Amino acid sequence: MSEHRDDFIIAIRYALLKKGAKQKFSLFFLIILSISIITLDKLSPPIMIKARGALNDLVYHVSVISSQPSILRKYLVEKTAIHYSAIDENNFLKNEIEYLRQQKFNNAFLKSENEILKDALFLINNKGFEQDFSIAAKVVLDSESPFLKSLLINKGSRYNIKKGMSVFSKDYLVGTIIEVNYLTARVLLLTDLNSKIPVIIEDTNINAILEGKGKKTNLGLSYLPENYQIEVDKVIFTSGKDGFLSPGIPVAKTYLSKKNKILIKLLADPDQALIINVTNGQINK
Amino acid sequence: MLSFKLIKEQIFKSLPIVFLYFFSFYHFQIPEVGKINLFAFNFQMILIYFYVLKFPENLGFGNIFLAGLINDTVIGIPLGTTSLSYLTLALFTTYIRNATLRSVMTAEWFTFIPALFFSNLVYLVIINKFSNVSFYYLELLQNTFFTFLFYPIFYYIFKTYQELISIK
Repeated sequence: MSEHRDDFIIAIRYALLKKGAKQKFSLFFLIILSISIITLDKLSPPIMIKARGALNDLVYHVSVISSQPSILRKYLVEKTAIHYSAIDENNFLKNEIEYLRQQKFNNAFLKSENEILKDALFLINNKGFEQDFSIAAKVVLDSESPFLKSLLINKGSRYNIKKGMSVFSKDYLVGTIIEVNYLTARVLLLTDLNSKIPVIIEDTNINAILEGKGKKTNLGLSYLPENYQIEVDKVIFTSGKDGFLSPGIPVAKTYLSKKNKILIKLLADPDQALIINVTNGQINK
Repeated sequence: MLSFKLIKEQIFKSLPIVFLYFFSFYHFQIPEVGKINLFAFNFQMILIYFYVLKFPENLGFGNIFLAGLINDTVIGIPLGTTSLSYLTLALFTTYIRNATLRSVMTAEWFTFIPALFFSNLVYLVIINKFSNVSFYYLELLQNTFFTFLFYPIFYYIFKTYQELISIK
């Protein structure tokens, strides 16, 4: 029994102290060194903190370099996956384009059929304006009168501008022509108290009249059905019931004010209107 | 005078050290199954066990110590923890090498169990006593199990490699 114990102790001592072939340090020395480092790391004297910081910097930099092949592999795998998914997406989009093209033909057919039927029922009233009339004009005067919210533009009857034409600023309806001179014309802004246009509210079939109240952030809707509660973030489009403005032109939007009240604001900004487009009621192109 | 053959021989001989350092710097992972890394194992431990047991002249204790320090820095555990764990493994392996007369793969494989046990025991004790790092015991157990399980595969890879470089 004691011989076995002696053998064990001898073997352990041999393993700990003998450096062995080409070993520069004995295990015993390295184990003591490890324990010292652990103790020092636990105690954290200032020199150890500095040494650890320097070691961290060095090791992290080398670690970043050594992880580059893995990053490259991940990158290549991801790119390959994206490439194959792009092929699938491309095929899907091709099919979708084909489907939409067919739908477009159907829509064109329905539109022309609708126009023919309207024409047959005398529902279209063009009042003699040319189709697709559009002319750009410069705002020469921005009237801030308390009675009339209007703009003065540098184009008039000389350029075939007529009373009642609609005016767009940055693709949004901003007002209508109320006064035409030879070289100039006056635009009545939608914010003016006198402005009234027939509209329809998004996602509903509710018709109403959009009225100006003097402010671009506060417009009014009249002739709404009883007990109808308007919702937030609903776009208001022209309904085309007046027989001049094309239906579906976005005009205003509902929003929640700071006082938690649902208000209507104009999509266009008349204060920023410098160049405007005058059309004969069609959507601004 | 340094000949090309000698340089080549030195490169081949130092490849285990290169691997030991590389995997200390870069913690590779076997492709994960779902979110759990099922087959994670400690490559360094297999390398240390095999080379200290079979070819101690190819893997110095100083390198093992230094690789452990690097590993600690990368993982962010108290400095010297992994070094001491690896050195415990090396100590146990040296003892086995001195105590055994005839080398048999299966015997070496099974003596890897107590070697891993003592090595991980040291690791656990230091982590628990010297740091506030919390870790999953189950993952360590899983890691140890797969380290033990994959030993024969690497045994044959390393053995074949050593045979190849000795022929050259």
